[in-house]
Amino acid sequence: MIAIGLEGSANKLGVGLIRHPPKGGPAQILANIRHTYNSPPGEGFLPKDTAKHHRSWVVNLVKQALKEAGVSAADVDCICYTKGPGMGAPLQSAAIAARMLSLLWDKPLVGVNHCVGHIEMGREITGANNPVVLYVSGGNTQVIAYAEQRYRIFGEALDIAVGNCLDRFARTLEIPNDPAPGYNIEQLAKKGKHLLDLPYTVKGMDCSFSGILASIDVLAAQLKANPNQTDALTGEPITAADLCFSLQETVFAMLVEITERAMAHVGSNQVLVVGGVGCNERLQEMMGLMAKDRGGSVYATDERFCIDNGIMIAHAGLLAYRTGCQTALNDSTCTQRYRTDEVLVKWRD
Amino acid sequence: MASDTEFPCLLVISVPFPDTRLASSALRAIEVDQELSPLVRRSMSLAGPGLDGKDGAVNGSDKRDLSILKVEYRATTNRMLRVAVNGFMESLGVVVGVMQELDVDVLEADEQKS
Repeated sequence: MIAIGLEGSANKLGVGLIRHPPKGGPAQILANIRHTYNSPPGEGFLPKDTAKHHRSWVVNLVKQALKEAGVSAADVDCICYTKGPGMGAPLQSAAIAARMLSLLWDKPLVGVNHCVGHIEMGREITGANNPVVLYVSGGNTQVIAYAEQRYRIFGEALDIAVGNCLDRFARTLEIPNDPAPGYNIEQLAKKGKHLLDLPYTVKGMDCSFSGILASIDVLAAQLKANPNQTDALTGEPITAADLCFSLQETVFAMLVEITERAMAHVGSNQVLVVGGVGCNERLQEMMGLMAKDRGGSVYATDERFCIDNGIMIAHAGLLAYRTGCQTALNDSTCTQRYRTDEVLVKWRD
Repeated sequence: MASDTEFPCLLVISVPFPDTRLASSALRAIEVDQELSPLVRRSMSLAGPGLDGKDGAVNGSDKRDLSILKVEYRATTNRMLRVAVNGFMESLGVVVGVMQELDVDVLEADEQKS
């Protein structure tokens, strides 16, 4: 069976085509293309502009994806789209295209939870059996474990997502947003080595990042006012790279802690990291050290699947469709809030 | 039915489509999203060409040829009316784009060309 998936919950518009072979076996990725809306340095992406970007790209991307896949409208079994969570107007831009395809091609629609899309694609690509999932992106930070047909949220960010913290700090430093602010922070952090004092805000199974953002913004302002600051221990000058380094070390350590707590709770030693922040090599390294200490391992995907994409929506949607789920046209709305555990995972026992 | 005094600002938009199938698809796709603002009321319907009393000439086609998407927006202020209509136009743009490039016959024709 073949599904097309449209993803537009944040600033990435993704279209993917996936094939689940009839007799089982690994899923085949027929096409997975994406176009990203980047705002200028120092600014974040706003809903109105993001939606405008998605509206102007969706037709082209679908057309190109069909061409790459060599698939016709008749070959497609269902049209999957991101129902939520995410930003309202951008979500709707993709949803309305999905509805039109459904009407013109006379194919059923499947609304997909964005988080479940990340999880299912991560499982498929890495082959991880039953890992604790750390889903970290600009919009979401959740520690998830599967139990009885639901992806249960064991811990999460209480205020802003870790990726949001990183992205907003990139704005403070006026680092370019192309290809992604988090990526540019990661590269800058590699040149840093002085660990500055920042709050460490793990609260049980949950964590909080807005206080850390406020603190690192203060440090950045201080550095701007006095560029000749030196590190107390070594006497070496402090740079923006050191700020990025300190921020990453702090927030990633927090994520490793809450992930480990969940692993201990459920008795698992496998970790699957998904979401845009999951691309970060330092996070993968730190998570790997923790998992190894527990006799386990970390599973991660590359940027084709870590970063928001259409193929994960097609994949999760097709999994649901094969169990008999579909979304009626009049129910094919979008919602900004959609909890991961609201989805009944019928395709697993 | 919204009273005229509460929602005095009115705009009726008639979008002609080549046939009923397309007009009806556009209506069904757009109507799923509710209006976000309580200061705006929207109603959509299909109409036939020449049946809206503008000119008497029906072009010999079937009176059931409801190929015009008629949208009526009512709002409390002109500003809200503009906001709502802008939103409709943006959605309509995507709808028309999908029809133009991704309808079944268009894709088949493209495939035969390549």
